[in-house]
Amino acid sequence: MNNNTVKEIKNELLNDSYYEIDHKSGLKIFVYPKENYSSAYAIFGTKYGSTDNCFKVGENGKYISVPEGIAHFLEHKLFESEERGAFERYAETGASANAYTSFDKTCYLFSCTGNFSASLEVLLDFVTSPYFTVETVKKEQGIIGQEIKMTNDEPGWASLFTLLKAMYKNHPVSIDIAGTVDSIGEISAELLYDCYNAFYNLNNMALVAAGNVNVDEVLAVADKILKSAEEKKIERKFEEEPLEVVSRYAEKHLDVARPLFAIGYKEDVSGGRRTLKQSTESEIMLDIIAGKTSALYEKMLDAGLINTLFNAEYFEGLGYGAHIFSGESENPEEVRRYIDEEILRLQTNGIDKDEFERIKKKHYGKFVMGFDDVDAVANYLINDYFNGDGLFDGLKVLESITADDINRRLRESVNVDNSSMSVIKAE
Amino acid sequence: MSNIKYEKTADGVRLLCVNTGKFKTNFINIDLFVPLGEYLPAQYVLSTLLAHTSRDYPTFKSFNSKLESLYGASFESAIENYGDNVRLSFSLELPDDRFALYGETFSEQAVDFLTDILLRPLCDGEKFDENVSKREIRFTLEDLEAKKNDKRAYALSRLKQLMCSGEKYGIDSERLENEVKALTPEKLFEAYKNLLSTAQIAVTACGTLSEKMLREKMTAFAEKIENRNALELTSQFVTKADEIRYFDETMKMMNQAKLVIGFRSGMKNNTDNYYAYRIMTDIFGGGPYSRLFTNVREKMSLCYYCSARLVRQKGIIFVQSGIEKENYKKAVDEIFNQLNIIKNGDFTDEELEASKRALADAYRGVEDSPMGVCSYFASQCFAENAVSGEEEAQAFLRVTRDDVINCARKVTADSVYLLSGEENDE
Repeated sequence: MNNNTVKEIKNELLNDSYYEIDHKSGLKIFVYPKENYSSAYAIFGTKYGSTDNCFKVGENGKYISVPEGIAHFLEHKLFESEERGAFERYAETGASANAYTSFDKTCYLFSCTGNFSASLEVLLDFVTSPYFTVETVKKEQGIIGQEIKMTNDEPGWASLFTLLKAMYKNHPVSIDIAGTVDSIGEISAELLYDCYNAFYNLNNMALVAAGNVNVDEVLAVADKILKSAEEKKIERKFEEEPLEVVSRYAEKHLDVARPLFAIGYKEDVSGGRRTLKQSTESEIMLDIIAGKTSALYEKMLDAGLINTLFNAEYFEGLGYGAHIFSGESENPEEVRRYIDEEILRLQTNGIDKDEFERIKKKHYGKFVMGFDDVDAVANYLINDYFNGDGLFDGLKVLESITADDINRRLRESVNVDNSSMSVIKAE
Repeated sequence: MSNIKYEKTADGVRLLCVNTGKFKTNFINIDLFVPLGEYLPAQYVLSTLLAHTSRDYPTFKSFNSKLESLYGASFESAIENYGDNVRLSFSLELPDDRFALYGETFSEQAVDFLTDILLRPLCDGEKFDENVSKREIRFTLEDLEAKKNDKRAYALSRLKQLMCSGEKYGIDSERLENEVKALTPEKLFEAYKNLLSTAQIAVTACGTLSEKMLREKMTAFAEKIENRNALELTSQFVTKADEIRYFDETMKMMNQAKLVIGFRSGMKNNTDNYYAYRIMTDIFGGGPYSRLFTNVREKMSLCYYCSARLVRQKGIIFVQSGIEKENYKKAVDEIFNQLNIIKNGDFTDEELEASKRALADAYRGVEDSPMGVCSYFASQCFAENAVSGEEEAQAFLRVTRDDVINCARKVTADSVYLLSGEENDE
């Protein structure tokens, strides 16, 4: 491709629009200008996260397995270069920069009110200029070692990963995103380059700019910095994951005031990645089962079983899916019994139509409110793009969902006999 | 947005309404400020009790159904220290009326909902509902006890308590828990009446809500409160520490030790050289260009985080880090060393400029979300004139090298606190 193609995507209701650009380098770029905003936010990400531990590049490539936590390690290391590191360069523009690694992506970002082009140049340049040596890798092992130890002390984090290990036998989602002190010890500069060269290909990446930005200035920087990349086919390999959970119960000891629990209902995901509609249905469904207006929530509060930290979320990605309920309780087994019973009751009797309509209205309002914050808009955009959805698609999807859809989803995606519970408690 | 000013609508009641069509959301926040005192345990409970039920919506289900029907309005409450005072906040965020699906208006209703929460709680005129009180006391206790789950925050609160034991700010957490346990529906009601009558009240709104409507509603709101007598707020500023105190505590099953150091900045009040102190603290341990990040983390690989923060309402600087216990001395020495470097003026102009640029840049963006607008201005509700983000940015840019050095030289270390795992633990 020799030219950039620009497409405007509008939404009448929100009275907003953004631009989707196929950049000649192979990179997908989104620009979402917000009128009268001083701030700009940019995020440059790759579809590469902690679960991509075994992969091959190209038809003739060989599968390689890499140490746990390497995607996150790579994120840290990219900030360094042979001369001046990214943070030092951002210090000259005044932008506030950061990065994060999740199960399926790694993103580098900054926010600023001035010098946007200069900061964008730093972002595009450092992410596309890797520099790893034996010394710098060693230095980072100390820093990340402390990050791992810090998260090991966080009961909520421990609760989630104890649950994931109880639910998943082979899927790498159960591995801590940062890896372990031992696994990061196996990381070398060479392995970092292998992963970098596989996943930091512009065709596997996206750039989003939102707020006080326009297409021309973004393209001017992209044209200057980005070199065309040849598209490479990446294949990820996951060992087959059994349908059943590994164990019904798992616990871990930390010095907590009262036990923390997480209960996950493992979903059959053999049909592939869930659609936006299915995910939205799951979120509405969770509100109906255990949201703040549900009978179950008030019943458990009154029985002294839970407190207001109780929460439900849909957890989904490539090769995994689960409905997770978490909180604090002196009696997690009883909480589990209450939730099981409520799910079975709703699976048999169906959901209340008025409740469904009210909750749908809430989701509509939340969707609209999500568009004021430039950070949120940019993160939604990159997330939706990597998931294969458009930013405004959620609105139409929400409109189309009926109470019958929720009843069907509840019967098809939740099996009370296939759940795990993790409990974090003091010895 | 210059010349922004809180308008006094009644004795001790201030209102600021930032009218703008820039957002899709309306945001309204009511802050109640009172001096820290005997009612603190009850105020902790009230901060959630008032936010979970009301006379019109007595159950979780009815209360939250109302919020859902207001297009998923988010209602939040919070309680926090504000120097030697307490700040209770109640805020409501909801879509603008133009997004109504059936042409109705609902934001005025939402304002009534918010004021009714404070004026029409679930009580009989003498006490709060028995069951609700019991439940909310349980929530508060569980919340206070669970503070130790977050080791980083727990270590900071322990240091605050030990370092400021002679000041109202140094809240004794054990005593607080015991006093919460002893609360009754009657005592809660007494504290509620006291809160409404004695609080300095600040209402901040952003969006398309009409200023006239808000003024009328807030005037009526203030008139309905009996015996209004808003108390003056003060905070003690300890400007110097005579010697460094060291505290060492342990906790079971902890992987990483938490280090917290408390410094007296030398600020005499919350406006004393504030901009210079902020820049100085930022050079010391603000962003990733700061001395603590580049030395303690990047050069020495001692930690994942090491940062400094200025508490404006008390003139205290806190440094926090997570380390290996055996590196304790190394880390403390290096943190002190970095401060001394600033005191001696041995930092570069680039460092000074980086901090000025970063803070100026951040303040220029504070008015880019409805919540941002409200929280930014609410923090200035007692100032004669509020300062816009741009004016604040200019003030940071005027700070000089000498200003920074002069501030740094007034800083004294007060307390060093270490929380680590018990021996034999990992």
